[in-house]
Amino acid sequence: MKVHVKNWHAIAQWRWDTGASDADDDGEGDVCGICRVPYEGCCPSCKMPGDDCPLIWGECSHVFHMHCLLQWIGTAASKQQCPMDRRPWVTAERKVAKQGR
Amino acid sequence: MDARLRRVNKEISDCKNDKSSNISIDLVDNSPFHLIGEFDGPEGTPYEGGHFKVDIIIPESYPFQPVKMKFITKVYHPNVSSASGAICLDILKDAWSPVLTLKSTLISLQSLLCSPEPRDPQDAEVAKHYMTSKSSFEETARYWTQAYAGGSGKEVRGKGRADGPRDEIAMAGLERAHVEKFQAMGFDRTKVIDVLRRLNYRGANVAQINDDKVVDELIKS
Ligand SMILES: [Zn+2]
Ligand SMILES: [Zn+2]
Ligand SMILES: [Zn+2]
Repeated sequence: MKVHVKNWHAIAQWRWDTGASDADDDGEGDVCGICRVPYEGCCPSCKMPGDDCPLIWGECSHVFHMHCLLQWIGTAASKQQCPMDRRPWVTAERKVAKQGR
Repeated sequence: MDARLRRVNKEISDCKNDKSSNISIDLVDNSPFHLIGEFDGPEGTPYEGGHFKVDIIIPESYPFQPVKMKFITKVYHPNVSSASGAICLDILKDAWSPVLTLKSTLISLQSLLCSPEPRDPQDAEVAKHYMTSKSSFEETARYWTQAYAGGSGKEVRGKGRADGPRDEIAMAGLERAHVEKFQAMGFDRTKVIDVLRRLNYRGANVAQINDDKVVDELIKS
């Protein structure tokens, strides 16, 4: 018997490589701590996830949607601190996303 | 959908799905921005056996501004106003972070009940009571738990049950003998309770405050 493939639909999935281990201990998985939307989704002010709504890494290793973090850092209340550990926020060099998940 | 609304709805449903924490969050009316949080008093504290309700207001710029919380249930605690329920807790003020949630903030309130911080008080009179006599403070806090938070108050000795009329002397954390002594001089009971509470007439303080001082205050009041 011969099977002819007439057409096919490619289904791809992508994830940001956040450098985090698989599941967070609080079971909340990979969500941005500020808006609580997954990293793969976009922040509340964007419509398209992906390169239009990138992530930002701190040197402290915490990750957020860039837009969410910048909105927080823009408030006086933030004192320019990381929302997770309250250390002064220092943006890390963008890590090159590595495959291998 | 509005970012604030989306986040709050998610927080409410996460809390509903989590049965392990014994913390509940419910709507007051139709708005998801005015809520009531509830939790049990921590074990091994004067609040044990009580059930505490907290009024929650989600501000316009949440989560970039702290959520507003105050106790609805009356609480006898140095960091909670005994009159208004206002709370002194750093994360509700300048230590707020947008990664905090309604649930984690309520858990922080629960742990505030375990560890009062009398040096940063919300209610100065209660804080003085705490610092003068911790055992007397705890007895009063237990009485309040029993009277207002539905606690069984099984450890409150000789102060009457909460289902009877409330004992104003126990409420104020005073000794019956002290109140009766000044009442016997012809002063009104309510005034005596009020003045002795303000003077923090408890524990080692009693020896420091002479009767003339109390009578002076009673005449002025
Ligand atoms: Zn975000
Ligand atoms: Zn965005
Ligand atoms: Zn950090």
